[in-house]
Amino acid sequence: MPVTKKTGVNSETGIPGPAYNQGPDVWDKVTGKAVYGIDLQLPGMLYGKVLRSPHSHARVIRIDTAGAFAVPGVRAVLTASAIKNKPYGIVVEDEQPLAGDRVRYIGDEVAAVAAVDEESAGKALEAIKVDYEPLPAVYDPAEALGEDAVQLHEQYSGNIAWERDLERGDPEQAFKEADLVVENSFSIPSVHPTYLEPIACVASSDYMDNLTIHTALQSPDVVREIISAALELPLSKVRIIGPVMGGGFGGRVYGNLKLYLLSSLLSLQTGAPVKMQLSREEEFSVGRPMIAAQIKMRMALRKDGTFLAREADIITDNGAYSAQAPWVSKTLSERNDALYRIPHIRTRARLAYTNKVPTAQYRAYGNQAANFASESLIDQAAEKLQIDPLQLRLKNCTRAGDVTGHGLQIKSCALAECLEEAATRIGWHNRKKNRGYGISAGIHASGSLVLNQDFRGASARAVLELDGKVTVFTGEQDYGQGTYGAFSHIAAMVLGLDARQVRIYCRDTLVTPHSQGALANRQTTIGGRAVQLAAEDLKKLIEEAASEMAGQPVKMQEGRLETASNRDLKLEEVARYYHYRTSGLTLNGEGRYVPPPSAYDETGYGNISVTYSFAAHAAEVEVDRNTGALTVHRIAAVHDSGRIVNPHAARGQVFGGMTQGLGFCCYEGYLFDKGRVANASLADYRVPTAMDVPGMEYSFVETEDPEGPFGAKGLGEVVQVPVPGAIANAVADAAGSRVTELPLTAERIYRAISGGECER
Amino acid sequence: MKEQVIRFEINGEKAEVYADPTLSLLHLLRSRFNLIGTKEGCRKGECGTCTVLLDGQAVNSCLVPAGKVEGKKVLTIEGVTREGALKGKRVHPLQQSFVEKGAVQCGFCTPGMVMSAYALLRDNPSPSPEQVREAISGNLCRCSGYKQIEEAVLEAAKTMQEKQG
Amino acid sequence: MSYMVAASLEQALKILHEKGGNVQVIAGGTDLYLKKPLPDLVDVSSVPEILGICRDEGMLSIGAGVTHTEAAASAVIQSEAEALAEACRRVGSPQVRNMGTIGGNLVNAAPAADAAVALVALGAKALLVNHAGSSREAFVEDLYAGYNCSYVDGSSEILLRFLVEPCGQGMGSAFMRFAPREALSLPLVNSAAFVRLRENIIEEVRVVIAPVKPAPTRLVETEKLVLGCKPGEDIWRKVEYTAASEVEVRGSLLRCSEEYRYHLVGVLARRALKKAVERALNRQRR
Repeated sequence: MPVTKKTGVNSETGIPGPAYNQGPDVWDKVTGKAVYGIDLQLPGMLYGKVLRSPHSHARVIRIDTAGAFAVPGVRAVLTASAIKNKPYGIVVEDEQPLAGDRVRYIGDEVAAVAAVDEESAGKALEAIKVDYEPLPAVYDPAEALGEDAVQLHEQYSGNIAWERDLERGDPEQAFKEADLVVENSFSIPSVHPTYLEPIACVASSDYMDNLTIHTALQSPDVVREIISAALELPLSKVRIIGPVMGGGFGGRVYGNLKLYLLSSLLSLQTGAPVKMQLSREEEFSVGRPMIAAQIKMRMALRKDGTFLAREADIITDNGAYSAQAPWVSKTLSERNDALYRIPHIRTRARLAYTNKVPTAQYRAYGNQAANFASESLIDQAAEKLQIDPLQLRLKNCTRAGDVTGHGLQIKSCALAECLEEAATRIGWHNRKKNRGYGISAGIHASGSLVLNQDFRGASARAVLELDGKVTVFTGEQDYGQGTYGAFSHIAAMVLGLDARQVRIYCRDTLVTPHSQGALANRQTTIGGRAVQLAAEDLKKLIEEAASEMAGQPVKMQEGRLETASNRDLKLEEVARYYHYRTSGLTLNGEGRYVPPPSAYDETGYGNISVTYSFAAHAAEVEVDRNTGALTVHRIAAVHDSGRIVNPHAARGQVFGGMTQGLGFCCYEGYLFDKGRVANASLADYRVPTAMDVPGMEYSFVETEDPEGPFGAKGLGEVVQVPVPGAIANAVADAAGSRVTELPLTAERIYRAISGGECER
Repeated sequence: MKEQVIRFEINGEKAEVYADPTLSLLHLLRSRFNLIGTKEGCRKGECGTCTVLLDGQAVNSCLVPAGKVEGKKVLTIEGVTREGALKGKRVHPLQQSFVEKGAVQCGFCTPGMVMSAYALLRDNPSPSPEQVREAISGNLCRCSGYKQIEEAVLEAAKTMQEKQG
Repeated sequence: MSYMVAASLEQALKILHEKGGNVQVIAGGTDLYLKKPLPDLVDVSSVPEILGICRDEGMLSIGAGVTHTEAAASAVIQSEAEALAEACRRVGSPQVRNMGTIGGNLVNAAPAADAAVALVALGAKALLVNHAGSSREAFVEDLYAGYNCSYVDGSSEILLRFLVEPCGQGMGSAFMRFAPREALSLPLVNSAAFVRLRENIIEEVRVVIAPVKPAPTRLVETEKLVLGCKPGEDIWRKVEYTAASEVEVRGSLLRCSEEYRYHLVGVLARRALKKAVERALNRQRR
């Protein structure tokens, strides 16, 4: 039976929480000493800048760089013809370091320069002359899929970067037999992760072409492989060292590959370190937002509320190049089907190329977009059937032991309890006048296995230092979400030490174990498990060495080494004993966690994750009927993330994720003027400020998951998933009609109230 | 633009620098004084990561021409740390409570947040939660949802009041 | 090229005179980096004549160099020019309000400048002096030459102060703003109103709306509608309709549609006017 607990308290798990959620660099951060990418300086460093296409789509006729070379202080000027320019990509290889004969969006990289200072680099860009022949462009993804549409990439005909047609059960029959069919179309814009530190990197190289890139990434080991392949440099010559990361939220999984490749090329050419940085405007206009989606969805139900079938036709907007958009499209189009028992499913999803900013990924991976559509539709059905939306969800929600339509094996699940608790917390049964209430559920993979089907798990090393302290080497990444705090805590628990005696060494691909990185909620679930195993291995090695040293069996308990004859050995004594005996080695525990075999196919379809996290959120809102102005008063979040290992970090994840969900639902979203990003600034791309945040509360329903370390499941992504559905349903409740387009601006809400008209 | 001498006080010390007075104070702090705790997030006064105190008031240093600080006092996060250190602690009470309340995640907004909070507590030693939110409304944070930051500022206010009292 | 900090008005005027037009006056400087290229600059933010809030022959005299923070916090402005305090409180962010001045807000001539909207509703006059030392007075709304373009010539003229009639017996003002975010946000529409009541009858009224034209715009028809009326529930519906009907607004991709902006003009004008009337009624009772 799951135990419901009050806010952030974790007394019953028996796991003592670390004092703070932060990693060891928290004091550097709070005093301003922490060094981020933008702060990096290396001796002899040059500054790189990029010349970008002013056209959405054009043929590049001629590039004249003579003027740029003439600018004093300029050390290198690169164009497509001057480099190998090998195609690369994450899912599909549709990009090159520099655009060759064709540019496909406003911002496409045409040339790069390196100079002794920013000013000279800027002047050099101005001195490059490019002749373009503008081509017709396509901006609307549905239009791009049309027969006569302008084609962006020859190798992807019909502008389709990725597509999927899925049918489970017999949806056609189910729709025929249904008592009720509801349907609607939903529109969700592109959103940017908006990490507060713009992406920056410094690439340096030596005469042997050993390349070191200093940049903060969520998946440095994966990026390293892409860079090695794209530059045709042996992998051993590429090293990535991470400074402190100023936020990631999925946007720094692969960061900005263009920037890393161009700074590398400029460094290899000049022999000097080259720093490149995106301006905030570039972050929005050439950085990588998450795909926009148009979702047409139908649901079939029985009179009693039983879900029979769901059908979705989804078009996602890839922009000019693809990055991770196919994977995001896949999650967006599939994952949400696992939230409820839906026997019959049909999904058609297409990812369309358009002449707009290329896309990538963002926290919650499109799952929040699908949530907005499906949870809105469920409330439409509830209204038609006159069933309480909470009861309708409880009737159909997924439960532990289920295998879902797409084959997800649900080993632990407290979704029903989450729904009931969220409803209670918001006052579902005791509503205030003039307020609207909405509820919504969410699921997210916790420890995705299909990023690299041959490399599904994680590894870690735990080393006993000569002073008796422990260093954990990990390739996982912390950008403030508390990973390192959790890791030192996990290792400390295994070894019976204080977490402060465990140091985390990270962010250096030469030294740290290789990892898939901080994404797909795999840090705690998979990375943490590896740390646990490494610490267990180290404990065993310590006991062995200590036994040898003492000449009698030694057990390590609560951090103490005790011989059979009750003599205490010190950790540093054992460390040094082993060190001398082996002429310099240290006790080195290794942990590898290889998740159990899972049932999915080569396209990553099936049971794609170690386990799954669940959540339900409920919202209380107020709408000004005269203007449509929305006030979100409260959001109550109730989560099943298994056991909560670090309640302080969990708190940060929940509030932060809810606020990003609020932004996604009510404030954010790209605006395009044809192909140009119209709101490429923090003034016009509006993330919530401190004055926009509602009352937020949360609790956990802790399930015992068989896979995660100490039964823990991921939290960081799922927390954003239910927010849009909860707010949208609350707004519909308050307004009496539904907005189907995000963000829920005052104008859209007002139009919904007034039936589309703006009354004067 | 031609460089000229700018004399001002930075973190309690007198400073004299030859610099282009139309460059931003942010640029001056980071590139001439190596005070990298003042962050650059947008260069347009829209994110608050570059917040410093100019004669006691929170300002976006990216919008302040260097020439403007002539004869004025500038306080940065490094100065706040030093102020804490001078009182026999490692850090200022605000920084301490930011850590204790979990208000630091990626940390990029943190120096600017601390500066805005510092300015608030200077004028208003016991603010309400609403006043805290308003005081940090020019400082974006993408990690926290602001909740822990608000709590940290309120907690620091309490600590500092107790010490005063 | 240079950056000069003027310590006195005399010094500032001397620089303007010597530079013969090749110079730009700045105060808070918050919009400096948005305009390029930079000419020679004269920083007048320390000139005593443009600072402070005081009374001058029965008028409130507000320095052009008063920051938004100072204006919003001023007890005198809060009680006798509420609209201006409310407007200044909502500009940008605390950091911007600490630097940005009311005078700069006007000279910068952005069409939705909050402080300027309030000043027009309050019937404020601006006091200016040029490099030759001759001064002039002008109504705030008459200083707009076009979008983001002012008749205040920053190369030869200094905006010194604003003169505002304090709200006394039977008078009231209010400012309203509709923005997509609670901070760091430009308004979709803002509005300010001033009324003077005598025996519950509106005897004097100004209702201002922006962004409609380059300058904050007086709603002349709406003012006519309510002038001489006793404000009651029956009138507000008409106010809303008249306000929206007498202006021409444009939609924008970044803010909202034209239709919705028309609607907001009506709602905000009504709300500002209603609030101003409430305050005037309160003052009448006292």
